[in-house]
Amino acid sequence: MADDILLSVRDLSVEFGSAQQPLRVLHDVSFDVARGRILGIVGESGSGKSMTAKSVMGMLPEGGRVTGGDISLAGRSLVGLPERELRRLRGHDLAMVFQDPQAALNPVKTVGWQIEEALTVHGMSARDARARALELLRQVGIPDPESRIDEYPHQFSGGMRQRVVIAIALANSAPLIIADEPTTALDVTIQAQVLRLLVELRARLGVTVIMITHDMGVVAELCDDVIVMYGGRVVERGAVADIFDAPQHPYTRALLRSMPQIGGDRLSRLPAIPGATPDLSHLPPGCAFHPRCALAEEVCRRTVPALSPIPERPQSEAACHVAQREGRLPPEPAERGEVDAAAGRSFGRAPILQLEDLRVDFGSRRRLLRREPPFYAVDGVSLEVFPGETVGLVGESGCGKTTVSRAVVGVNPLSGGRILVDGRDVTAFDDAAAAHVRKTVQYVFQDPYASLNPRLTIRQILSEALEQRGLPAAEREAECQRLMEMVGLDRGYLGRYPRAFSGGQRQRIGIARALAVEPRVLICDEPVSALDVSIQAQVINILADLRDRLGLALLFIAHDLAVVRHLSDRVAVMYLGRIVEEGPAEEIYARPRHPYTAALMSSTPRPRPDPGAMGRKTVLGGDPPDPRNPPSGCRFRTRCPIGPLVHPERRICIETDPALAGDGRHRAACHFSGEAARLAEETKT
Amino acid sequence: MSANDTHPHHPAGRRPRISAGTARYLGAFRTPRGMIGGGLLLVMLLAALLAPVIFPGGVDMQTRENFQPPSLIHPFGTDEYGRDIFVRCIYALRISLSLVLVAVPLAMALGILMGLSGAVSRRLGEVCQRIFDIILGFPSLVLGICIVVAIGAGWLALAITILVFSLPQFGRLARGALLTEQTREYVLAAQVLGVPKRKVMTRHILPNTLDPLLVQASLSMIAGIFAEAALSIVGLGIQPPTPSLGTLLNVGIRYVYAQPMYTAGPIIMLLLLALAFNLIADALNAAVLNAKRT
Repeated sequence: MADDILLSVRDLSVEFGSAQQPLRVLHDVSFDVARGRILGIVGESGSGKSMTAKSVMGMLPEGGRVTGGDISLAGRSLVGLPERELRRLRGHDLAMVFQDPQAALNPVKTVGWQIEEALTVHGMSARDARARALELLRQVGIPDPESRIDEYPHQFSGGMRQRVVIAIALANSAPLIIADEPTTALDVTIQAQVLRLLVELRARLGVTVIMITHDMGVVAELCDDVIVMYGGRVVERGAVADIFDAPQHPYTRALLRSMPQIGGDRLSRLPAIPGATPDLSHLPPGCAFHPRCALAEEVCRRTVPALSPIPERPQSEAACHVAQREGRLPPEPAERGEVDAAAGRSFGRAPILQLEDLRVDFGSRRRLLRREPPFYAVDGVSLEVFPGETVGLVGESGCGKTTVSRAVVGVNPLSGGRILVDGRDVTAFDDAAAAHVRKTVQYVFQDPYASLNPRLTIRQILSEALEQRGLPAAEREAECQRLMEMVGLDRGYLGRYPRAFSGGQRQRIGIARALAVEPRVLICDEPVSALDVSIQAQVINILADLRDRLGLALLFIAHDLAVVRHLSDRVAVMYLGRIVEEGPAEEIYARPRHPYTAALMSSTPRPRPDPGAMGRKTVLGGDPPDPRNPPSGCRFRTRCPIGPLVHPERRICIETDPALAGDGRHRAACHFSGEAARLAEETKT
Repeated sequence: MSANDTHPHHPAGRRPRISAGTARYLGAFRTPRGMIGGGLLLVMLLAALLAPVIFPGGVDMQTRENFQPPSLIHPFGTDEYGRDIFVRCIYALRISLSLVLVAVPLAMALGILMGLSGAVSRRLGEVCQRIFDIILGFPSLVLGICIVVAIGAGWLALAITILVFSLPQFGRLARGALLTEQTREYVLAAQVLGVPKRKVMTRHILPNTLDPLLVQASLSMIAGIFAEAALSIVGLGIQPPTPSLGTLLNVGIRYVYAQPMYTAGPIIMLLLLALAFNLIADALNAAVLNAKRT
């Protein structure tokens, strides 16, 4: 077994800053990677997972240094190697796949040149390199490599670019590949393609992979072993199946429990982890997780627990005093979470928000000499939201979901269709209509770091909104405090500036601001996608609470199907500017009628290890087409797993644009909507 | 506000932003660069302001001898009429500093207005940018000559020249900042709340455009001081016998062998001014970048 270990990291410590005041970002990190295995390193922002990868690559940022421990690759120590030696190793013995394929490729060089460069710097002749580059492109599944090898990165889509980056990593048959969040910047259907490619490459080439990610679902689907990091330390280590089956560190367990599920029971409240991820410069003493841990004891506050096997589950190791003493991790003290309280909710009769055949045109801006042809980012979307109801709007990036929502509040001008707010036609968006919309509909933005003015205190931010509601100045202070309490923040924070808050807290302030005008509809545009996993649940819970308490209607926009499922009563799925399926949430998730919905669900990684799952997944090929030039007939036909790609005789998909149709409230725009459910069934079993 | 008021009341409209922003700008003067630059400027400013008090004799008080070498009593020596060159330099600072301290802030205000006018009407914004292009097309000397011809040489002509040629820098920076700020989510959020356009402008956009503008203001001060000198040397600015750094140089060059300090004195003053404003610009820039990073 021992000689099977490819990479061994022992007690690695990394520090930044001056020698007098060092900031330690990694504390005694140890792990092994066996040949041919995929190791997942999971953690949230600031957990040290990327820093671990960079230490292994010898690419620590300016000012960082290894202050203890050892890294050895195939028996050779990497710590303290001169830069020249390291450069020879990089690309040849260890390779890296970066997060953002856009930034990882040089835009002024062809992809072929970039792959060949990786080969020639390690001594291959130019002609051999060209042949090898072609072979690599074929290996990573780029169609027609002979012509595409001479194209530039901008001619490739995001998923294809990531394949090129993987090809570069594979170029010298490096035995170890470190992938730093390789799918985070990609859409789910593209992520599924890349994950499948990694699995295939492992089977075919026997490469060893270290996969750094924040997504427990990706770990469950892809990895064999996993280490969980928190506050610069490894808190749990073991085989994926063991850790997902019975996590032995409270953090791992809480993280898994706090994630909304795409299958299984719908909880009324997510068991959220309180508090925020710690800042590496102010780590709590003792176990870094103790301020957020329900099991924390006196010893946790004082001594840092060591990573060691748990007596009753020797296959996994966890750094927890309680689990080590008890023999296994005791159950949570307070077990919460009733099943699906959402079922009993009732909604108003008349829609509060009504969109009819909405069209938004981004193209026909007049240029100097010519008029661009119209390009509809949103092309005929109709949607109703009833008082008290939550409608989830799902789709991948570029499908037009944000554009729809921004059109409602008057940020994007319409080029067709009607918007009715509380029965009143506000399409013209004149002053009276604008005032009506602003009183009724409010917006929670995606990026909590960009949505608060850094120069205003929280009090000023909230007061501004209250001023719009027409509240006299004398009553604003009390109302500010009430709003803060409503979103679970201390009223003493009112005098602080946004930078004093974490992402999750900022998002709550954004929610409080939106609620300040007492709206009846809240549009949430990806409100949790920028947050750490452990924080997401807090914000989701607050949204659900406020919705129930205030009778708010929610238009919840997200790309994450699990989050949408947790909150929504009804779901609408968008593809390329249109709604392709719409219906009650439970029905859509149980029996999708559009193949795109089925594929989305199947592509979403589930945090539950299932060895054969990857093979059964419906992975869509290709990329979403250019919305400037949508395909004829059904817009999804170029990627459809049941369309003319597979069944050439189905001419109807090419010729006729399917309308939203179906019985009752569950409707789908597919000529063969009966087959989509079967597609979803196949994936599950 | 009474001292025991535990919940201080801040209506959002009355005192927009500032405290955080100002604190950051003031913080710039706590760095070594900011301290040296600010201190230097403060000393020169005080000297210029208090010149009539410190040197009650005025600029024209003559001593017995002309062209005295530098001494303790006359640090820069005396000129062709036996007047103290150092005193004349200090009085000259009054001209330089008053010019830039009036013209540059005015240029900044006008530049911001013109730069942000794009928010009111696209066309107006475009027109303003084209005006800036035209101004940038003129060399500053030619521009100065035109203005002097139009209104006659003197302090006012110099002030207008400095104002006009520093306008485009401010206008362009303001427009650039406007274009980036306009699409920020907090600006959209204010829009969605129904905050009037004017308030969105003054509360959200304007304060966030100030960073680069303040740095630019400090640099424009240097350019303005040198512009005065340049125009006065060629006789288009302040007219002798009024001492300004330019007129002193103008005359001083004629006596460069008899009294080298006659030229060196004003140049030292110019360099000190440039150094002070440059250090302040550096410190401000560092403070602004620092605040952005955290």
